[in-house]
Amino acid sequence: MCQQRKALLSELVNMKKKTTEKNGHVVAWINKAEWDQVLEYLYSKDCALQKYALHRISAWKGRFAHNTPIAVESTADLVRCQILDRSGKLDADDLVLLYGTALMRFVNLITERQQGKIARPLRRLASNLKIPEWIVNLRHDITHRKLPTLKWCRKGCKFVLEWLQQEYWSRQLGSGLAENWDSQSEGEDGEEELQRQENELITRQKEMESYKKARELLISFEKEQFQTFEEFLEEDKQTSLWPEPSADMSWILAQIKHFALESSEILIDALIEDGFMVPTIEQLVSLSVDNSDDADPTAPHLPRVVLRFWLPLLKDLNSQLFINLLLEKLFVELQQLSEDDQKHRSFYIAGWISEVILCNANKNEYHYESKIQRKARLKDKIFMKRIQLRWQQLLAACLNAPCVAMPHLLQQILEDMEHPMPLDTRQKLLRLSSIYTQGADSGYDPSMEHSGQPSGIYTLESLHERLRVQSRRQVYMMHPGTVSDSLKALPERTEDFQEHLSPDVLAERAAELRGSPWQVCTDKVQWKNYPLGKVPGQSEDPSCLMVDNFSTIMVFDQQVEMENATQHNAHAGVSMPHRVTTDGLLWTHNDISKLKAGLQLF
Amino acid sequence: MKVHKSLPKTKQTSKRQQCKDKWFKPNRIPQNSDSSNLSPSTAMAKLEHHASNLRKDKPNLKRLKKKAKAVSFRQVKTLAATERTPSRPLTNGRAGGPEQGSDSDESQDWSSFAKSVLYQNGGGESMEGQESCVSAKAAPGRIEEAAFVHCAERDYIHNRTVLVMQQGQTLCFRGKCLLSCLYGRVEVHGFTLEEGQQSYPLFSPSSHCPLTVTALGDSPNPSKTKKAGRLEAKAIVRKYLSTETRKRLLSEVDSDSCVILLEPLDTPLTRFLTSFPDLKELFGLSSRDIRDSSAMLDTPLSGLGITPLRKTAGGMVMSQTYREALNGLVNACAEELDGCPVILVCGAKNVGKSTFNRHLINTLLNHTASVEYLECDLGQTEFTPSGCLSLSTVREPLLGPPFTHQWAPEHMIFYGQSSCETDLDRYLESLKSLWRLYNRETPIVINTMGWVKGFGFQLLVDIIRLFSISHVVQLSSGDKVMCPQLTPEFLRSSHGWQTHPPVQSALGEDNSGTHPAQRSYTLFSIHSEFEGAGRPGEMRHQRSNEQRDLALLGYFSQLQSPEPGPVRPLHCFTPYQVPHSAVAVGVTHCEVAPTHVLYTANASLVGLCCLNEKVSGRGSPVLLSQTPVCPCVGFGVLRGVDMARGLYFLVTPVAPSVLRQVNCLLLGAVTLPNTLLTGQTGILGEPPYVTMDYSFELTGAGKLHVFKGLARPGQMKHAK
Repeated sequence: MCQQRKALLSELVNMKKKTTEKNGHVVAWINKAEWDQVLEYLYSKDCALQKYALHRISAWKGRFAHNTPIAVESTADLVRCQILDRSGKLDADDLVLLYGTALMRFVNLITERQQGKIARPLRRLASNLKIPEWIVNLRHDITHRKLPTLKWCRKGCKFVLEWLQQEYWSRQLGSGLAENWDSQSEGEDGEEELQRQENELITRQKEMESYKKARELLISFEKEQFQTFEEFLEEDKQTSLWPEPSADMSWILAQIKHFALESSEILIDALIEDGFMVPTIEQLVSLSVDNSDDADPTAPHLPRVVLRFWLPLLKDLNSQLFINLLLEKLFVELQQLSEDDQKHRSFYIAGWISEVILCNANKNEYHYESKIQRKARLKDKIFMKRIQLRWQQLLAACLNAPCVAMPHLLQQILEDMEHPMPLDTRQKLLRLSSIYTQGADSGYDPSMEHSGQPSGIYTLESLHERLRVQSRRQVYMMHPGTVSDSLKALPERTEDFQEHLSPDVLAERAAELRGSPWQVCTDKVQWKNYPLGKVPGQSEDPSCLMVDNFSTIMVFDQQVEMENATQHNAHAGVSMPHRVTTDGLLWTHNDISKLKAGLQLF
Repeated sequence: MKVHKSLPKTKQTSKRQQCKDKWFKPNRIPQNSDSSNLSPSTAMAKLEHHASNLRKDKPNLKRLKKKAKAVSFRQVKTLAATERTPSRPLTNGRAGGPEQGSDSDESQDWSSFAKSVLYQNGGGESMEGQESCVSAKAAPGRIEEAAFVHCAERDYIHNRTVLVMQQGQTLCFRGKCLLSCLYGRVEVHGFTLEEGQQSYPLFSPSSHCPLTVTALGDSPNPSKTKKAGRLEAKAIVRKYLSTETRKRLLSEVDSDSCVILLEPLDTPLTRFLTSFPDLKELFGLSSRDIRDSSAMLDTPLSGLGITPLRKTAGGMVMSQTYREALNGLVNACAEELDGCPVILVCGAKNVGKSTFNRHLINTLLNHTASVEYLECDLGQTEFTPSGCLSLSTVREPLLGPPFTHQWAPEHMIFYGQSSCETDLDRYLESLKSLWRLYNRETPIVINTMGWVKGFGFQLLVDIIRLFSISHVVQLSSGDKVMCPQLTPEFLRSSHGWQTHPPVQSALGEDNSGTHPAQRSYTLFSIHSEFEGAGRPGEMRHQRSNEQRDLALLGYFSQLQSPEPGPVRPLHCFTPYQVPHSAVAVGVTHCEVAPTHVLYTANASLVGLCCLNEKVSGRGSPVLLSQTPVCPCVGFGVLRGVDMARGLYFLVTPVAPSVLRQVNCLLLGAVTLPNTLLTGQTGILGEPPYVTMDYSFELTGAGKLHVFKGLARPGQMKHAK
């Protein structure tokens, strides 16, 4: 059972991870091919290609706004220096200033994350990142000493670009990430992680220990109870009450109660394991409970002996908190059981739920019972006073745990709720639950028999059929149009998310846009298939959005008042052909990335 | 008003009426129709109409009952009030002779209001603090768990709850609902709801301070005896509840209690927002509510989508100075000595400017049909997504945080960033051009940014000088002085970014040259005392970027159809299309290589703007060489670019009749919420711009991150 708990825990941890990872991150490149293209061009020796990459990064910065990765920004700055250097148009002094800024920014920005609350020397931070001291010194020279020579600047630039390629570009986006995974333990973060794991281990250890203790306590309780039970049987007084707890028993109960104060959750976990509140077959036999299968699984009812067996314990623990927690746990258990088939267990779990809720019932039907009847009834109750149950949560938990007994439990809950739901909602819920659990049709709707549908499995067709039957009835009273309307409405409801504009709306919008360059797109396109940023027929090639020709428009101080605007604004349209071709290549970049992905060495 | 009727209508009085007129609420219906073709929020408006039409037993207009007497007088003038009359100078507002009489009625209104504010706030204090208030019946204060059994009853058939509140009682809650006042008067965040008014949607999400409904009791009406009032109230309860359920409530009702009706609220906005996994619990409890276990989970209200909170949850805290400022401003609006008050609200970040603005506007809306609102804060905008400056006419109360009222402003200018520091001149020019559009017939509230140091402070000085401010509200918190007190004396000598103090001439009299004569103004200093004042919010959805995303999601929720149904992701909508050559594209926040500009624009948020120039690009895209100051009519998502046919595809809630004027798409640093891109379902293939493989573990993978106030090793030792 310990293992079960462990497995559960790890599952929980996994679930948490999954939810955070599921959605992915928003980045500035359309796809991996675009990233690869930029990377390749940045580190090519061809100035034109490098420039192209810089231009693309300028577009990325527009997308990223304030979130541009600093590695990308630093690389672009340094590559820009190289291009300007190679152009031969600038003097050495100009270049030193340019290189200087780029290098300084790189060192400052890249070490920023390493800084804790207290400023630490750059040298140490840099060495954590495998940046040699001479780069840091270069930065110091540029900021507050004599400017370095162009030669040193070039050297520094070359080194840093290589460093960036190695540490960032070539490892990013899943390329070669796995093999280098362990080489980077992030200073303090790593320590924190370790600390956290350790704490987790300790708490888990503690939990395990108290769990063991809970089991021990419960086992001693069981032993004691069995003993009294056997003595009781020997006495053979069926009508008499279950004997008063012995001294040993009182002591065990006191211990359990004390334990429950601290860790009621663990106690309940142990309680609902097999062999405790869910008796094993052997236990049932020794309690002389007939374990034949005639018990109705849809309306589970605990054998009285089993209830009475646990009653002393439960009566001791019947605080509001405990009962609520117990119910919650029982439902969780039920939910997990519904997946794998354990009839015996789910019968007893559901039985206990039903029993607890029953104790809480405030029915008036007991008005006319005799005193003795009343006493007998109250004897088996876990608690007497009505307890504030968390009805909303209970209801949710119940609906989360579909099993054959669900309609029964649901009915109990719905009837008992502090603030009952509207009657029709209740009926709908019950009906839904019986549909879901495929239990017997509880006969709410006579039309089902009418149409000759076998109760049990409900399909879309049966819904259609029902609708048809109903509307056929309505025809006698209503005008015939409604039938076709309601039938037409049905397929639309089940349809997907695609927006379908009615011809009226389309016409209205078209009329309002007439005379302007705007139109409603009337292409027959299933837009729901195309994510934002993609249109039908769009190529996967990362150069597909390049603008070859464009004109520029100049706007001068515009007044917001559109009506009385004066035409003093100049308009200068400059058309300039501008091309960076990738025409010469046999394969597009996308082809190459596909090829790369398909390649397998050895 | 009675005086008016009997008086012959001289030219003077009609003028006087004209200016009085704006203190009455015109019928809301004609207004809707006149703005419908302009506003992209018609869907919302329609829905609201729809919702209120469902309740036919209620008049559709919001008008305080005690003013019903003036109806005959108003009917003559409604047309004039709804149609935009060219602004008339309100020079002779001074009441003389006969007007004195006409004034009295209204001034009584005002003074009674001022008293009620005082009473209610004073009551509020005692409610939350020492239970000292004396009341005949139920003690005023937060309704607690046990009390709900007596004072609330749920109608399960219509799924609504009738709540009887005694004077001074409050209901503080999380969630969303539709509130109507059936009997008496209640107040929500400064706005008074009276019986017979339309119902209002209330939003109290976990991201903000919870809303509180306060019972004010029935308006003192001498014509009604106590008994008549009680009978009337009981009749109303009977109307809404069936025989079995109303019994308990009837015994609670008295002539001075309030009866309110709460109904579930389900709008395209709430449906759209809660469809995102991260926002599922947006209208649920905040982590603080849970920590203090202040939620009352099992009450007759729980099925409606609201959760009442216990006293531990606090609710809004109004300091003494806050109340005084509010009263002072309301009185100032009543006096209107020198035209309409121009109220500027300023203060550092997180001192409660936005909350105060809403409270002020709501309070003013009790007495006037509309309040103008000039947004100068680019980051935490009230009516628009962040990154734009706007001038709005507010006619409806603001009963929720900004993302719940993304209403199209009358005028808007796209700036493109959530702070103005990169281009102070464009910021000021944009504001000036908005200011020129203010008609000066209604009071105006000017919200300013939280940047109050250095140039930010200079801009503030400019705004006060340029916009002839009559009242300055300066909020502060804690002991730390963020910026100097903006007293008129201080301003006389301080330098702005564009304006400078007048040169002191020898006589100090004649300096009408370069600057208009400095008008003096009244300064209200508010010291905020709520928990966490001056600090950024730490709870879920409180961070400023989350707020920005929420505003954008709120904006795009207008695309959803008003009928309940499945929530449609953005990519499923039929887009508009426009040729590349017909609209100019500009990037406002950085330099992008022109040939690569579509890589920035694709799948991005764009401001839809209108240039005076004719845009025609001979078949190729048109790019802007610099950022213009031009009107913006709304936002859209550039859904895709068809390179072969030269078309942009755009998804936007802006009405086609407005869209037709758009000839410029501006891009800014305010980007689409990530969830809109990552959460796209039902698409073929991988979504663009989304990756699973980006590793933030690598050095340099993160964005630029500035640690503020990095301590030097020496300083740390000192501190210890």
